[in-house]
Amino acid sequence: MKRSSLKTKLYAGFILLVIVAVTVFFIQQIRQKSRMETNLDKYMPKNHPAFVYSDQAEEWFNIKDGILIAIENPDGIYNSVTLEKIKDISRKLQKMPEFDDNDVTSLYTVDNIEGTEYGLEVNAFYSRAPKDAEALDELRQNVRENDMIYGRVVSRDETTALIVAGMESEYFTDDFYREILAFAGSYEDENNTIYVAGRPIVEGTMGKLGPKDMQRMVPIVLVVITGVLLLLLRSFRATFATLLTVFVSTIWVFGLMAVLGIPIYSVSTMIPVMLIAIGVAYGIYFYNHLKQYAGRHPRAEESTALAYTIKILWKPLAMAAFTTMIGFISLLTSEVYPIKYFGIFTAFGIFSAFLMALILLPVMVILMGYHSGKKKEKAGSEYNLFIRFTDGLLARKKTIYIAVLVIATISLFGIQRVWINSSFLDKFEKDSDIVKTDTFVNSKFGGTSTLNVVLESPDADTFKKPESLRLIDRLQAETVKLDRVGNSFSLADYLKRMNKVMNEDREEFYAIPETRNMVAQYLLLYEMSGDPENLLKVTNYDYSKANVTFQLKGDDSKTINEALAVIKSFEDDFRELGIEMNFAGSGYKALVFTDLILEGQIKSIVMSLFLVLGLLILMFRSIKAGLIGVTPILITLLINFGFMGILNIALSTTTALLSSIAMGVGIDYAIHFLQHYRMNLASNPSKETALYATMNQTGKAILYNAVVVISGFLVLLFSVFPPNRTLGALVSMNMFTSLTGTLTIMMILVYTCNLFITKRKEK
Amino acid sequence: MKKTHAALFLSLLLTIFMIQPLSAEITGKQIMEDVYNKPTGDDMQGELTMTLTNKQGESRVRTLKQYIKYGDEVDKKIMFFQAPADVRGTSFMNWSYADGRDDDQWIYLPALKRTKRISSDGKSDYFMGSDFTYDDLGDRHPDEDTHTLLREETLEGKTCWVVESIPKEEDYMYSKTITWVMKDNYLGLRREFYDEDGDLLKILTIKKFDQIDGFWTILETEMKNVQKDHKTNMAFNNVQINRGIPDRRFTERSMTLGR
Repeated sequence: MKRSSLKTKLYAGFILLVIVAVTVFFIQQIRQKSRMETNLDKYMPKNHPAFVYSDQAEEWFNIKDGILIAIENPDGIYNSVTLEKIKDISRKLQKMPEFDDNDVTSLYTVDNIEGTEYGLEVNAFYSRAPKDAEALDELRQNVRENDMIYGRVVSRDETTALIVAGMESEYFTDDFYREILAFAGSYEDENNTIYVAGRPIVEGTMGKLGPKDMQRMVPIVLVVITGVLLLLLRSFRATFATLLTVFVSTIWVFGLMAVLGIPIYSVSTMIPVMLIAIGVAYGIYFYNHLKQYAGRHPRAEESTALAYTIKILWKPLAMAAFTTMIGFISLLTSEVYPIKYFGIFTAFGIFSAFLMALILLPVMVILMGYHSGKKKEKAGSEYNLFIRFTDGLLARKKTIYIAVLVIATISLFGIQRVWINSSFLDKFEKDSDIVKTDTFVNSKFGGTSTLNVVLESPDADTFKKPESLRLIDRLQAETVKLDRVGNSFSLADYLKRMNKVMNEDREEFYAIPETRNMVAQYLLLYEMSGDPENLLKVTNYDYSKANVTFQLKGDDSKTINEALAVIKSFEDDFRELGIEMNFAGSGYKALVFTDLILEGQIKSIVMSLFLVLGLLILMFRSIKAGLIGVTPILITLLINFGFMGILNIALSTTTALLSSIAMGVGIDYAIHFLQHYRMNLASNPSKETALYATMNQTGKAILYNAVVVISGFLVLLFSVFPPNRTLGALVSMNMFTSLTGTLTIMMILVYTCNLFITKRKEK
Repeated sequence: MKKTHAALFLSLLLTIFMIQPLSAEITGKQIMEDVYNKPTGDDMQGELTMTLTNKQGESRVRTLKQYIKYGDEVDKKIMFFQAPADVRGTSFMNWSYADGRDDDQWIYLPALKRTKRISSDGKSDYFMGSDFTYDDLGDRHPDEDTHTLLREETLEGKTCWVVESIPKEEDYMYSKTITWVMKDNYLGLRREFYDEDGDLLKILTIKKFDQIDGFWTILETEMKNVQKDHKTNMAFNNVQINRGIPDRRFTERSMTLGR
């Protein structure tokens, strides 16, 4: 090809300069203003009723996520050294600015409600760690006799003690995480082992591990993609330019986010994934067409070749980009802000990638030149390969139809088994420290996760009534029967304990007091004897609200839903007493949140399917084209969710969003294929040759694109962070199904249904 | 002209001399001793309405009838709950000893028909969930703190001494208190309590006071915990002083009578 004139080069240079300037500006903005948002609370839609309620209830009852520090001594915790450590840890935690005195619960801080010959005593279990055997034994006895304490802050086998420090997750930072680990670790010695667990720790570790792992994996992914791209395009320049478009559009997206002051959420990390899949495709289409033109017109001027390429490419590119963007913009219907942003900014990214494909790629060709670098015969043999492939498929139409039906049926079956998981713990390896610690603490105590049931009545003093309290007691007893529910705590526990100790510790009095006056007087008594603020964790000032806390052995949706099912079976009984039931706490919020994301995602998938269908019909002015065009997308979606069900991959925020990649890529493939097929029909004598040409052009481009992206994302299978592995597997699978769907079933349908063939032409 | 100058100079000098010994005379310690020693009468009875209000604006209201008798060795106090209805008849008795040993406390619960001893960890415990600790309610001996007169100022139309008191005991619950003492009746009009870190924790204000049976008496007072946004209002009605309450009022038997 002839090189471009100096004037064209200068012009191209100027455009490149503008792009570089904008990109540099965005890079600066990213450096100055970008920030990661790892606090999961910030992801929640603040005005959703469930969250509003939970937030309110968290304030009423001082519900916080607990950092759990467990101290294990195989010889038992009742020795002065271990007890001194428990005291020390508790006191130092109380002095940290992150915690209030009331946030720390341990054997040292809890009240021992005791019956003595005098009457009721509310005292600390110990203030100075007892030294002699007698005093240690007395302490052990006191704990054993106290049902409110035994098994909660000291394990039943007496080898482990628990210190719980409740904190607002907002205060949880990287530094604080390190500080708390170092602080707790400093109490370890040859006899005492320290474990640190709890939701803030899990959230903190996850917030760090995910991005850290990505930072390690992304360069490898890029290297693989570059390598494969080089192999396929056989040109350094083309590879470089293609990757440059992906890079530039990614920078623009994150730059715009920085300019607008929108933080990077964990779902935003999916944007580059999208842009790689789509941007690489644009590059491949571009060079594919350029190469084919250059092959046919070896003498042509560069600018003529580029003009031709742009001319035949801009329309399908624009259509593809536009439909994909619509798909992402439909995510605006989501109630979750990070998802809305994800949709908007991915749409912007696709628009940038589209612009780059039509501007930056030609500019790069003009400035750096282009080598088709391939012999013609080879292209010919490849062409024959595509013809054979096409013919083979066309000959086996029935087999393909049946295969698609079978796969669709299996997928539909799989979809029914898809389950949602809002668990954070499940994102870690089973043998990771965090899971091991969690398992250990769960085995010794009630559970590392909490679920709060908030009961509320319009009438004051409702929870002084014995019938309300007895129902709470029954609710607790029934729910705790579940394997995964460790224990529970409520106002009822206080009253049962007080009733017992006020009646000479007789076991038959471990029950809700008989009359409301009795309840009221016990409560008054407790207020005078103990730390009345403890009561505010279970009830409010006028006794119209109550908080029942359940300790669960896991934060996964199955465990929470199982408990919720039993708890909700009491809803009617409570309603009869005029009491409404609601839920609070971070585990519950995560559950609602995941449901919301999925609901939004499903809404958005359905909506964009119809939008895309409409757009395809409009673009090709044919209902048939629209219906045929959405088949690969439908198949990809079906297989995506079907496989998740079959392989037991739970839906979560990231896996749900992956379906939008299926949409975006699927639309692209279909539009390119249909558009080129229609163009080829005009210039080819028969629909067979038009199809061959399309398969050779577009089919190859689609194949290349899929191969590049799949090989890149397969690398993620070696990630140490399980969610990133799932991501890699699902992206690869979606690319593969989109590819196969387009080149097999859609191609066959296009051919068989005589798409775009007017009667006139047929004659 | 010279004469006026000289007169001015002289009067200035005189003023300086007059103020100097005055301010040297009155020290923070003295003020607080005077506050401590101001006459209170030998006994007191009346109705107390205690209103606790939390951050959310919810409140708990309790009405009690109380009798107090001051003695040399022991101050005795008995309270009978009048409202809310479900605790009516509950009574609470407290004996506080001058020699510093722990208070003795009893409670009678009518629903249980039994008198029980209760114990509390100490003086820093909050009284019945209020913002007052037992120590805030009792009189703290001036020797326990180091007092400094900071300034004189007018608060709510009353001339006050402003005295800072720093406890001698190191681990005390407050790092310091600042008291506005009214000059004309030695009642504290306002007191600020600072926590262990030196931050303002609570503000005590006197909302109503009067002379009852010849004694200056606080009739309404409010303690506000500014860190927790929680407050306690105590209002006293039908206060009578020195009516000669008999000792048999302060017995376990009298507690069961409910009034």
